[in-house]
Amino acid sequence: MRNGVSATWRATSLVVVLAVLVAGCAGPSSSPPATAKPAGGTGGVTTLEFSQWWEPELPQGALRGLMDQFEAASPGIKVKLLSGPFASTKEQTIAGAAAGTMADVVGLDGAWVSDFVKQGSITNLSALMKSAGYDDSQLAAQIKVNGSTYMIPVVNFIYPLFTNDDLLSKAGVTAPPTNRTEFMAAAKKITAGGGDVKGWILPLSLETPNGIQNDVMSWNWASGGSMLKDGKPDVANADVKATVEYVKSLWDAGVVAPGALTMKEQDKVEEFTNGRVGMMIGSLAWVNLIRKNNANLKFSISAIPAKDGFTGKRGIPYASWGIGISENSKNKAEAWKLVDFLMNKTNNASVSSLANGFPGNTQAVPSFVSNDNLFKAAFDIYKAGYPANEFTGLPVADELMRSFDEQLQKTLSGNQSVDDMLNAAQTSWLKKF
Amino acid sequence: MLNVVEAAPRQTLWRGLTRRAVGPTGRRLEPYAFLSPTLVILLILMLYPIGAVIRYSVMNNVILEKAPVFVGVANYVGILTSPDFWVAVRNTSFFTAVSVLAHLVLGMVFALLLNNSLLGPLAKPVFRALFILPWLFTVAVIAVLWRLLLNPNGVINYVLQGAGLMDSKVEWLANPSIALYAVTFINIWSGYPFYMMSLLAGLQGISSDLYEAARVDGAGGLQRFTHITIPQLRPIIVSIALLDVIFTTQQFALIWLTTGGGPINVTEMLSTFTYKLAFNQYEFSVASASAVIIFVLSMVLAFFYVRSQRMAD
Amino acid sequence: MQAGLLFALLAGALFAAFPVFWMGTSSFKTNPEIFELPPRVITEHFSFDAYWSILSNPVEVRFFVNSYIVALSVTVLTLVVAIQAGYAFSRFQFPFKRTLNIVIVSVQAVPPITLLIPYFGLIVSLGLYNTYPALILTYMVFTLSYAIIMMTGYFNTLPRELDEAVKVDGGGPMMALWRILVPLSVPGLVSVGIYTFMIAWNEYLFALTLTRTEDMRTVPIGIQLLMGQHSYRWNEMMAMSILGSLPVLVLFLVFQRYFIGGLTTGAVKN
Repeated sequence: MRNGVSATWRATSLVVVLAVLVAGCAGPSSSPPATAKPAGGTGGVTTLEFSQWWEPELPQGALRGLMDQFEAASPGIKVKLLSGPFASTKEQTIAGAAAGTMADVVGLDGAWVSDFVKQGSITNLSALMKSAGYDDSQLAAQIKVNGSTYMIPVVNFIYPLFTNDDLLSKAGVTAPPTNRTEFMAAAKKITAGGGDVKGWILPLSLETPNGIQNDVMSWNWASGGSMLKDGKPDVANADVKATVEYVKSLWDAGVVAPGALTMKEQDKVEEFTNGRVGMMIGSLAWVNLIRKNNANLKFSISAIPAKDGFTGKRGIPYASWGIGISENSKNKAEAWKLVDFLMNKTNNASVSSLANGFPGNTQAVPSFVSNDNLFKAAFDIYKAGYPANEFTGLPVADELMRSFDEQLQKTLSGNQSVDDMLNAAQTSWLKKF
Repeated sequence: MLNVVEAAPRQTLWRGLTRRAVGPTGRRLEPYAFLSPTLVILLILMLYPIGAVIRYSVMNNVILEKAPVFVGVANYVGILTSPDFWVAVRNTSFFTAVSVLAHLVLGMVFALLLNNSLLGPLAKPVFRALFILPWLFTVAVIAVLWRLLLNPNGVINYVLQGAGLMDSKVEWLANPSIALYAVTFINIWSGYPFYMMSLLAGLQGISSDLYEAARVDGAGGLQRFTHITIPQLRPIIVSIALLDVIFTTQQFALIWLTTGGGPINVTEMLSTFTYKLAFNQYEFSVASASAVIIFVLSMVLAFFYVRSQRMAD
Repeated sequence: MQAGLLFALLAGALFAAFPVFWMGTSSFKTNPEIFELPPRVITEHFSFDAYWSILSNPVEVRFFVNSYIVALSVTVLTLVVAIQAGYAFSRFQFPFKRTLNIVIVSVQAVPPITLLIPYFGLIVSLGLYNTYPALILTYMVFTLSYAIIMMTGYFNTLPRELDEAVKVDGGGPMMALWRILVPLSVPGLVSVGIYTFMIAWNEYLFALTLTRTEDMRTVPIGIQLLMGQHSYRWNEMMAMSILGSLPVLVLFLVFQRYFIGGLTTGAVKN
């Protein structure tokens, strides 16, 4: 027994020592971020960390190339790119803010801004702009909360209407529909063609419910409608009701591609590329993707149809790659320099061209606009209308979309009326404000 | 005798800490010595986070608010009176019960198939490798793969339609009446190898003498199975069933990435319910209360498991 | 009987392997072909592009290296620790035994998503952020519960009389454990080991949260990086998953002979 016990302790201590050794040979770059950096100006090199999901979506090496240009233009500042998967970015940013490990410069989505401001994780950009003497008239948009800017959209991906020219002409429709009646008629004719082809596609997955923003509410905004009143929810108004009833009528007419209730946005482009969907509201970023994947597909870009007889400016939905600076960054001035760099006319045009989106700088013009018909058409739509995304800057925007989506799914499945749905949505939205 | 007893204390004075454990008290400390690495790791890493979760659950709006306030059981009451919670409980119960049962049955069937002496030496490794395939992939991939397969325009519908078993496309994941079954099926597919392997390993440990003796006594195949195999495997079956219940209750990514809790709320589980509270509504304190409730439910099960272990001793 | 067995085997193989087979064929297709209707098994543009783009990218290869280091360390350490703990639970009676057993099991029972933020804060304050030990220790926490329960279970199936055998040689509990019980539990050890490796290899959430820089990320993160905001890189995702599954498959194939029975035949004479 004596041997047994001491042997036990020996074995135990061996395990502990092993564990400590493993801990000792810690992995590379294990130094904690942000704490050991000198504040700029002391002659040392300031390293900025930029966390985003953009790098994997851009051509290989493109974002790094831009950062190298920035480093060359700003001696004493180095930029470290931290890339993560888009789907997890929101959680990771919240966790990072809670643990104090957020990067200096952060990529943001408009739907998160209000809640990050509440958490105190992102800093007031208006104040930074003021102290840097920045002229903000060149910014196409600034996402504000309580009157101060917290996020600046760097690249805007608009969502125009994509139409499959071949399917349309086969259905006897000569041009993309311009109002709701025409759209419904075209969708019906395309679906009547039979086979696996449907007129429209509607992704309503509850996991990432931006179908509500891009494919449902967009109809409302395209006709100048609003879902808010004085910044408060007004979901039961006549415009929204008309929109929802229209979507329901499309659903009941059987023109919507199957699998809608759990379909994600990324599925839309695959179905369209394979010629199984006649018309879809899609991200401009997909133009080159579709061309690459199916060179034979002929498609057009047009504005989202408005309600019949509408002649005003049409709102066009968009998603942005936004940028902000974290509150606990120790290098806010340098961080602002990076933001400034990305937002200036030349670089903003470069980033937009690489990403196939529209610039956040009013004067920048991406290269693809001049030499590409489809992009030119999209740019014209962009200029003729106005970027509309009422969800940006709202508190718990994701949750608002989700609760609306759940109610919509109930209605589409025939379990409740449109009025009940809108009232339920209004009630649950009001609770969040 | 006396000399030995007197000698021991003197020796311990010399030999330091480890040897002090020797003597009548030594035996009592042995099990703790064996358990010490486990306890050290678990205590250091889990004590604070679990404590934090419990603390959050009785406060209001942590993480997001700078000054959280103590609210007692308000969060718990809120959850227990929320209809969404009970929907999640119902779905999770169905999902877990069916999954665990099917895992057990499938795992046992496959383990028996693989353990069969009729299989040649070449066939065995091939089939073992084939049967274990579902287990090799990360959950995100399984979710994406099955969404691809079960896509209304995907290969499963194509094959079933082609074989004449269906006449129109089935929306496996998007139809509110079918989605829960589909998701359960995916979970069964991805989880049975765990049982299969554990049971297969367990089957190896059953002495063939027992089977021989039974055969000599005239026991048929089914009787050998129920009277030898099952009782011999009982400790393992109970262990993995308990673990599987706990794992399946926690299963989040599979549901989230396939259906997001939808359509409507037919695949809403306790895990997705909790996640949405935390990262969509930013109600971390309410989410923590939900976590504690799930934790307590699982502990009740763990308690029953430990009791059954004691009975087996 | 033979036919029944064969049928069951083939049906089982179809059930288990068809989705994986589909994953494999997809990894050789171009992206749009994956969504074609009617679906095709053999593609027109068969290519290894997806695999090549992963294997030729040092960042992605690094993901595999990291996953290996973490998973192997976790497996070895967990097995060693679990063997000892399982022995304690199986062979001894001691105060708080039931409590400790419950504690070890219930650690698993807290939804990880709620633990994420406080746990992350703890790791950061321990100075382990973005290191291998952070992942190794974290995965040990997840796998120890299972490993201990399983080892206890396996040890419980081995009669206590076996331990007595070492007394002849004057050995104590350690000897009984490592010389007798462990060799007899090899099937159990192998199954626990493979399971542990697999958990560590496939885990995503904590791997993402506890690592920060590209050089520390693991394979599941690499796969998720291919799921973009706008579209997925389907063929690369499938290829990376196949590549990611190969180590575990190889491990299984190499160690599966330890499942072969007869190790305790004759050890116990009733």
